[in-house]
Amino acid sequence: MNAPILWIFLPLALGGFLLLFRHERVLTILGGTSVLVLSLLAMLIPIDVALGSDAFSFKLAGSLNVLGRSFVLETADGPLLAILYGLAAMWFFGAESLGLARRLIPLGLAILSLLVAAIAVRPFLFAAVFIEIAVLLSVPMLLPPSQRPGRGILRYLIFQTLAVPFILLAGWLLTGLETSPGDVTLTIQSTAMLALGFAFLLAVFPFYTWIPMLMEESPPYLVGFLLWLLPQTTALFAMGFLDRYPFLRLSTELLDALRAAGLLMVISAGLWAMFQRHLGRLMGYAAVAETGFLLIALSLGTANGIQLVFLQIIPRGLGLAVWALSLSTIQSHTDTPRFSNVQGMARILPFASAGVVFANLSVAGFPLLAGFPVRMALLESLARQSLGLTLWLALGLLGLTVGAVRTLAVTTLSEAEAGWSSRETRTQFVLIALGVLALIVLGFFPQASQFLLKNLPALFENLGQ
Amino acid sequence: MFILISVLLLFATALSLAILQVMRPNYRFAWLVAAGGAFLTWASVLLWQARMPLLLELPSWGSAALFANSPFFLADAVNWPYALALTTLGLAVILTAVVRENFPAPFPWAGALTLIGFGLLAVLADNPLTLVLIWTALDVTELTTQLISVEGRASERVVAGFAARAVGMGLVLWAGWVSLSRGIPFDFRSPLPEVGVYLILAAGLRLGVLPLHLAYATESAVRRGFGTTLRLVSAASSLVILARIPAQGIISPLAPFLLVLVAGAGLYGGWMWVRSPDELAGRPYWVITLASFAIAAALRGNPLGSIAWGSALVLAGSALFLSSIQHKTLQRILLVIGLWGISSLPFSPTASGWDVSANSSWAIWLTWPLLLAAQALLAAGFIRQTLRPAASVPLDAQIAWARNIYPIGIGLPLAVLILLGLFGWDGARLLGTLPAGLVAAALTATLLWLTPRLRWLNPIRAHWIRPQQGESSRLDSFYNTLWNIYRSLGRLSESVSAAFEGDGGILWALLFLVLFLSLLAPRIP
Repeated sequence: MNAPILWIFLPLALGGFLLLFRHERVLTILGGTSVLVLSLLAMLIPIDVALGSDAFSFKLAGSLNVLGRSFVLETADGPLLAILYGLAAMWFFGAESLGLARRLIPLGLAILSLLVAAIAVRPFLFAAVFIEIAVLLSVPMLLPPSQRPGRGILRYLIFQTLAVPFILLAGWLLTGLETSPGDVTLTIQSTAMLALGFAFLLAVFPFYTWIPMLMEESPPYLVGFLLWLLPQTTALFAMGFLDRYPFLRLSTELLDALRAAGLLMVISAGLWAMFQRHLGRLMGYAAVAETGFLLIALSLGTANGIQLVFLQIIPRGLGLAVWALSLSTIQSHTDTPRFSNVQGMARILPFASAGVVFANLSVAGFPLLAGFPVRMALLESLARQSLGLTLWLALGLLGLTVGAVRTLAVTTLSEAEAGWSSRETRTQFVLIALGVLALIVLGFFPQASQFLLKNLPALFENLGQ
Repeated sequence: MFILISVLLLFATALSLAILQVMRPNYRFAWLVAAGGAFLTWASVLLWQARMPLLLELPSWGSAALFANSPFFLADAVNWPYALALTTLGLAVILTAVVRENFPAPFPWAGALTLIGFGLLAVLADNPLTLVLIWTALDVTELTTQLISVEGRASERVVAGFAARAVGMGLVLWAGWVSLSRGIPFDFRSPLPEVGVYLILAAGLRLGVLPLHLAYATESAVRRGFGTTLRLVSAASSLVILARIPAQGIISPLAPFLLVLVAGAGLYGGWMWVRSPDELAGRPYWVITLASFAIAAALRGNPLGSIAWGSALVLAGSALFLSSIQHKTLQRILLVIGLWGISSLPFSPTASGWDVSANSSWAIWLTWPLLLAAQALLAAGFIRQTLRPAASVPLDAQIAWARNIYPIGIGLPLAVLILLGLFGWDGARLLGTLPAGLVAAALTATLLWLTPRLRWLNPIRAHWIRPQQGESSRLDSFYNTLWNIYRSLGRLSESVSAAFEGDGGILWALLFLVLFLSLLAPRIP
């Protein structure tokens, strides 16, 4: 048996196979259970390690060659795969309650497997191509055939596609740099190309305008899935570059630029969130801020920073899933989730409203929620280096908190003396309640996820050294 | 371990009450369960004295390099008075519940005991991380309770109060980061003098003192038992950080100005308290006034004085606010001991309240008359509220066992108040600042003499700050101005995002990119 077949080609084929199904329940059971099983397998079976006795030995090979390229999954990739497929299961199981299983599960599975391929492919430059294919596949997921594309989706496609030539060009320049390492001009050119490529891919300021636009145009649940998966895997791809090239990871200028870009993303997203009156766009800005946190953690340039990058994976995925599910539930009861339409919504959709507020607060690093320990650690690490930068980051978080508080104020506000009732379906109620509970548990006991995260820094052996 | 036992006793009792109410709604001994749990907790906290300091460390969040702190609780001489005051409050709430109209009410008792549990954890928190976690639990409990019980637009006020307290939490965290930036992980045992000002601002914000605002929404929804617990637990959990301010005071140019603001808030709170139509309507002002005294004590370099005022706030307050039955002897006891508790006279619990350890400054001299006037107003209001012609039922009309239990519930906080004044903390049993106590007493007597003679000293409902829905206030115009500025900024942000997302958005993005690169360019080799 082979790990890339199990976690890349099998889900890709399964995604294609699931396109044949029409029934939402069947799709959910098949898709959700498959990714859950893949997650459990990733957790239980170590890659490239012989198991069993002399009589019966079993080893899951970590490498597969295809057309002269290889896909390599190592032992340290196991927990990462478990997290990615586990969180995907959460998204897939939630899709049915919103009637989105047919759009999300087959293509979502394919996108997930392509992004895992992006992490595993060698030479790793080909990852850009896999990411681009995943982006192209996401278009039919976001846009039903009968609907004309909006400005958000076009901009998303343009910005993500623009990234590919920059990264491929950077790869070509880096090959040259390997033969003449002292070439300063080549170093600058390749760094600039790489920075531009990742600025587009990660939707760094000012290239993130498509996110709030897309949140307005497309179902928030589907956009949320992409906003969870794309930046996460792209960040791992970027870390691969930093790990491989010493001149990149040792460059203080690059680390400064990463920090500046991250802070700019957090502050600007916090600022827009503070004044936002559309719940979908608010979630979009929070996702932008999340990417900013990743960049800031990476910019610390220390082993702690790398740990922080991985520490964010679960709270980010969980928070966005709860938020997207809750928001979609609210959106199914109103035309657009603008403040004027959702006033008093908490009185008829208390769990969905609570889900939106809790998830928002979690992203903002509010105590007792999953985002808090991560933000605390990030702020503390930053405080050790610069109190001024800590203040800026705290202001960005304040903006996100204001967004959550305003949502709370609006959704609980009721002109008439309205009573309280719950119109969520049982599935929606259960999923949102479990999600919020998980956010709280991880907020108070972040060490609960340590067994999955502690070995992840081994993926990048040079980073933070 | 002792801390865990006390806290688990409270939570287990609360959980048992809730389960009993769901499984066996007519269970006859629910009150006994509540009283038993509350009593055992109270007794266990009393026993802490034998083994203090007590430590309780929860499992670490991760490596020390990543997390400067993990949840950690400490019981020592500084926070023990608050712990005892809170458990006394819990027991008093259950004991006095026997005369309430809604008796038996297991759910509100469970709620009150849970709040006491959170309050206990908050006063024992040893670092900012632990404190904000517990504060959040308290705030979310309050938010949920209030949102469910209020109607119409009153929910806006509930959310605004929650937001103000959240900012207070942010300030405590900021204090921790300031400490870290100087290379010292922050715990409450040895805080840097530089971070004291943030702790004071945090406490002030959470208590509604800095800037002056009603930290809590309208009082109508939650009244005596649960409502009193909510208010006093919340106040004690915020005040406890003042006791950790370094004794030499705080190092900040803001300190004198904060002292003036605090004294002003105290005077206003005292004024509103003395004019409140009843003690429950005046409850927020009781909290504001005594909290101002506690904050002023911390600003004057007297952190132990803040414990004195904080304990008086909880204990005298709980006896007063839980009292709902007419009984002359009980009222006299309440009047004498309660008044003694807040008098700052020698050997009273608040005797050390007006001591000054910080360097003398213009603000200390300026605020003396304001603070003493506020204390006189507080005492005069206390006398008025204690002797009010209550419209409640006489004690003799209660059933026999309730007649015996209820006075214990009122007397217990008063007895603990006296005990704390004598043995509560290092610095109890003091002569204190005798002239200040005497001046306040004289002013109180004058006020009492003037009250029937001057109409403007009598209760009215007009306020600067708005406790009731629909009444405007002077401070409202200030907050409205801030709101208008916020809305203008909101319109500006909408215009900017429209430009970014419009047809020229991509050009704007490229322009910003060039700008960004040009800022970084000189630093690229």
